[in-house]
Amino acid sequence: MRVSLKWLKEMLPGIKEHYADLDNFVYTLDMTGTAVEAVETAGEALEGIVVGHITAKDKHPNADTLWVTQVNIGEEEPVQIVCGADNFEAGDKVPVATVGSILPGDFKIKKSKLRGEVSMGMNCSARELGIGADADGLLILPADAPIGMPFASYWDMADTILDLEITPNRPDCLSMRGIAREMAAVFGLQQPNFDGSDSGIPNSVDKVEANVRQSEKDIHSLATVTVEDSSDCPRYAARVICDVTVGPSPDWLVERVEAAGARSINNIVDITNLVMFETGQPFHAFDLDTIAKDDAGRAAVAVRRARADESITTLDEVERKLTPENLLITDSSGPITLAGVMGAASTEVTEDTTNILLEGAVFDQVVTSRTSRGFQLISESSLRFERGVDIENTILALDMCAELITKLGQGKLTKGTIDLYPNVYERRTIELPLAKVNALLGTVLDLKTCEETLRKLRFDVVVDEDAKVLSVTVPGFRDEVRRDVDLIEEVLRLYGMENTPATLPGGRERIGGLTHNQKLRRKLEQTLRTQGLFETLTLPFGNPADYKKLGVQPRLAQLHNPLSQDQSVLRAQLLPNLLHSVALNLKRGTRNVQLYEVGTVFESAEGRKQPKEAEHVAAVLCGAWNKRSWNLPAVEIDFFDAKGIIETLLRELGIEKARFVAANDEEYPYLQPGRIAELYIGGHVRGVVGELHPRETIAFDIEEPVICFELQCKALYKAAKDLSEVQMPSRYPGIEFDIALLVDDDVSAEGITQRIESFGKKTYLSDVRLFDVYQGKGVPEGQKSLAFSLSYRSDRTLSMDEVEPQHEKLLASLQKATGATLRS
Amino acid sequence: MSTLDEIERLKEQIQEKIGHAPTLDVLDKERVDLLGRKGALTALLRGLGNLDPEERAVIGKAANEIRAAAEALLEERKGELSAQALDQKLAAGRLDVTLPGRVTPLGAQHLISRIRDEIIDVFAGIGYSVAEGPEVELEFFNFTALNHSIQHPARSASDTFYLHDLSGDTHAGSEPSEVVLRTHTSPVQVRTMQHEEPPIYILAPGKVYRRDAADPTHLPQFTQMEGLVVDRDITFADLRGTLDYFVKEMFGKDRKTRFRPHFFPFTEPSAEVDVSCGICDGSGCRFCGNAGWIEILGCGMVDPEVFKHSGIDPNVYTGFAFGMGVDRIAALRYDIPDIRILIDGDMRFLRQF
Repeated sequence: MRVSLKWLKEMLPGIKEHYADLDNFVYTLDMTGTAVEAVETAGEALEGIVVGHITAKDKHPNADTLWVTQVNIGEEEPVQIVCGADNFEAGDKVPVATVGSILPGDFKIKKSKLRGEVSMGMNCSARELGIGADADGLLILPADAPIGMPFASYWDMADTILDLEITPNRPDCLSMRGIAREMAAVFGLQQPNFDGSDSGIPNSVDKVEANVRQSEKDIHSLATVTVEDSSDCPRYAARVICDVTVGPSPDWLVERVEAAGARSINNIVDITNLVMFETGQPFHAFDLDTIAKDDAGRAAVAVRRARADESITTLDEVERKLTPENLLITDSSGPITLAGVMGAASTEVTEDTTNILLEGAVFDQVVTSRTSRGFQLISESSLRFERGVDIENTILALDMCAELITKLGQGKLTKGTIDLYPNVYERRTIELPLAKVNALLGTVLDLKTCEETLRKLRFDVVVDEDAKVLSVTVPGFRDEVRRDVDLIEEVLRLYGMENTPATLPGGRERIGGLTHNQKLRRKLEQTLRTQGLFETLTLPFGNPADYKKLGVQPRLAQLHNPLSQDQSVLRAQLLPNLLHSVALNLKRGTRNVQLYEVGTVFESAEGRKQPKEAEHVAAVLCGAWNKRSWNLPAVEIDFFDAKGIIETLLRELGIEKARFVAANDEEYPYLQPGRIAELYIGGHVRGVVGELHPRETIAFDIEEPVICFELQCKALYKAAKDLSEVQMPSRYPGIEFDIALLVDDDVSAEGITQRIESFGKKTYLSDVRLFDVYQGKGVPEGQKSLAFSLSYRSDRTLSMDEVEPQHEKLLASLQKATGATLRS
Repeated sequence: MSTLDEIERLKEQIQEKIGHAPTLDVLDKERVDLLGRKGALTALLRGLGNLDPEERAVIGKAANEIRAAAEALLEERKGELSAQALDQKLAAGRLDVTLPGRVTPLGAQHLISRIRDEIIDVFAGIGYSVAEGPEVELEFFNFTALNHSIQHPARSASDTFYLHDLSGDTHAGSEPSEVVLRTHTSPVQVRTMQHEEPPIYILAPGKVYRRDAADPTHLPQFTQMEGLVVDRDITFADLRGTLDYFVKEMFGKDRKTRFRPHFFPFTEPSAEVDVSCGICDGSGCRFCGNAGWIEILGCGMVDPEVFKHSGIDPNVYTGFAFGMGVDRIAALRYDIPDIRILIDGDMRFLRQF
């Protein structure tokens, strides 16, 4: 809501003293719930333009059409200005743009020479100052204009416009009158009286034509209105003005509607806007003669819902298909207005219009909102209907508007008013116990403070001193106030939120902190970070094309109204978006990428409203762990880094029953065959680690090997165990043997290790560690050498004689079972 | 040459060779030459048995003296040479300690998560738990239960993402379906109140969605943090005190808060909270747009309508709720000119934290 302080001052003269200190004024508004979003100072643009007195006017020696003038601008010496206008004489007073000033249109005034004569500024026309259309000559000012006075203040142009944020619970503040009432309450001023309709014209404008010319005709012989359903349109009022002249608006009207943020169209439209800005009541002006007539020759208007097959061509020349959701003003030919939203060209007021049907109605909030938002036609009018219009104010505002149209349009106001208002608004009365105020706010306010505050805000208050209860009656313009808490808010905001105490709640049964899973999530992420992974966040949307590239077909959750095709679903895996992050890093010249993300993935399911949500953790690794350093070469990342990270994670979370299994390549078409391991926990696949298929790296613009994993968090949390018992380490040294076994290529390291462990169970074997894998010289084709370090240990010092036979026996059974031979 | 002469000669030799042995190796060789099995002094001492008793006493004494002296000298020289050797070793072992150390790669937490956890820790310290809920919500929890009127603009498909409803239910309203990407974490409030008895002290952090195309100040998904307290005798003063405490913990003891009346459908009374600008300390600067204050959250007393939808008796309990954008706090705290950096995974950005 744009509020001109110049306008406000006319309605509430006392406000002047308060906004003189603008910073403090704005602060007070902010702190009472009317947030000031911007402060605009009109007239500032005319800085450097002053009232000048032309003391001499001489022919330009070198140009027939130019004059050389000497102008007193209130400085010691007059300045010389070359001028092309003819409509002035020496002795006239005119607005002068001095050197350095900027005229509207970003036209900067510089010292110049015109045909050899110095010119130190410019004598201005009204057009050049942007204050009128007259470009024919200089704007000649009255003789008493003070020389040197800033023109903006002389012309009373200086105005400050506040852009106020009006919250949805304050529809009354979408009007100058509402703002004036609010400010009177906030600043403790006498409430203005808005009972009369004689307003809208600024005090500065000569109100000669005080009388409104009356017509002999009666509205009821000219127009008739029916309302199909009064819940859609609880009040429909109208007046008719005859013999109107439609034309441009006077300057004061243009200035005013523009200050409020509207564009000047013609006198009729401008007046309806002016009165809407002042009272909050939107209007629609019809050309009476274009409305279809009934048998009695009356323009017959019906307010009704649209039928399914109807359409309307609105003022913006768009044909709109209607549905029964839309409320219309119609005549027998069909729709003539989208009620409260926009009219149709067929009944619009034009230059040729002489008779006007002026509508002032109240339309249902939801219906208007649906229509205006549905068609994306949001206007000052629809916005007010959507928020709620004061139904008690309709006639007052309608009369004011009709009278102004009559005056400025030089028309005649017909007798009578149409007013369809079957259910007269009943003001509600709310009981407000003082105890409740203080109980909710934590304050110790007394009855008097609450009473006075509410009275200031124009509520009617009856006090029950004994029961300490206020009976508060709500005026129509504050219809949004419906419950005691709404009143408590009113008391609080004027009392000042800053004036309430600040305490901490003293709940007795309160136990806070993180849940088990939340703690595990922190531990999981911490473990990834200590292993060199950086957390990232990606948008949880997905691109169906990405999943196609990966060769997988998850059941993607589709958005109805995505912003774009590449964000048209919710992600089913974390991987694709992380791959885009890898590509972005490479493109920006970062080759070493170590990213992880913990986030929700989505999978839709037939028969379910909401998709299934699951928390995943995923990582992508690319390049090396580090840039090479003086004491550490770049350590390239491979499959076993990722696997090792997961192994560490399992250890940190205390997950024992987990194992990796070489996956079926076809299950993961986006991973490189033979480099895919599934993580099994308790017999179920809970994740996968692998190297991205080279085909996929190309598809995602990566061109570098990428190692990735993605795991299901819930399964990890579920399997996590706290350490339950501690094993005391032996205090005695053990005996170690290193063995190298030759096995066939396809024998897995895990298989051999498990064999050793199982054979070792009956021995003193306590630790098995694979320390070398070798293929090449010295090892037969098709075989590999696996070297293990075996450690035997007991709770006493073992002798070689005890261990050696066990070791020999273990080797023998190993050879027998796996065909592994000892490599010499 | 008499034996005594020989002893005398050995004595000089000991002084000369042991006392001046240049290295530990030479010293050891001299020790072997003198005291070893075939050493000169050993031989001499072994020859004592062939002497007559008188001579044996004199020479034996001299020889033993010499042996004691030699051993002492050996020890002394050994000490000297060891010290020298250590000095040399240390001198050779000097490092340029200004060379960078060998660093184990260490990752970092994302800025948003870090701030989220910081906030959680502040409130966990005063007895709050963390509650979670689905990111895909039903209209009821996201809007209706939170007292959003049926015509509330936030419900429109231009502001909120809607999903296909696969349940087979038909949807009557003007919106595409009743399944939305939650626009705030407030639905978690309702879900919590429906399932738990007061006292309730929770924080609900999480991802939320608004239908804004990504630009320097907007993302279609960002992170919000919501708080809810429902208990007996909860007042607006408690809300003020709680947020004041939070701001001081989070931003510093010197920071002030300011409550401005505002409107939210799910709280009444409602307020917006500003924190004094940390750069200019409230006097106004470029950072705070000359206001001296920076808006960080919205809050208010839980609206009775919300209690009604959540099965809480507003005559017994009162409560407050507050919500803030974690991204906004991050952008404010670190003066981030383009918040898209938060979601693109640029390692150079992530390594800073």
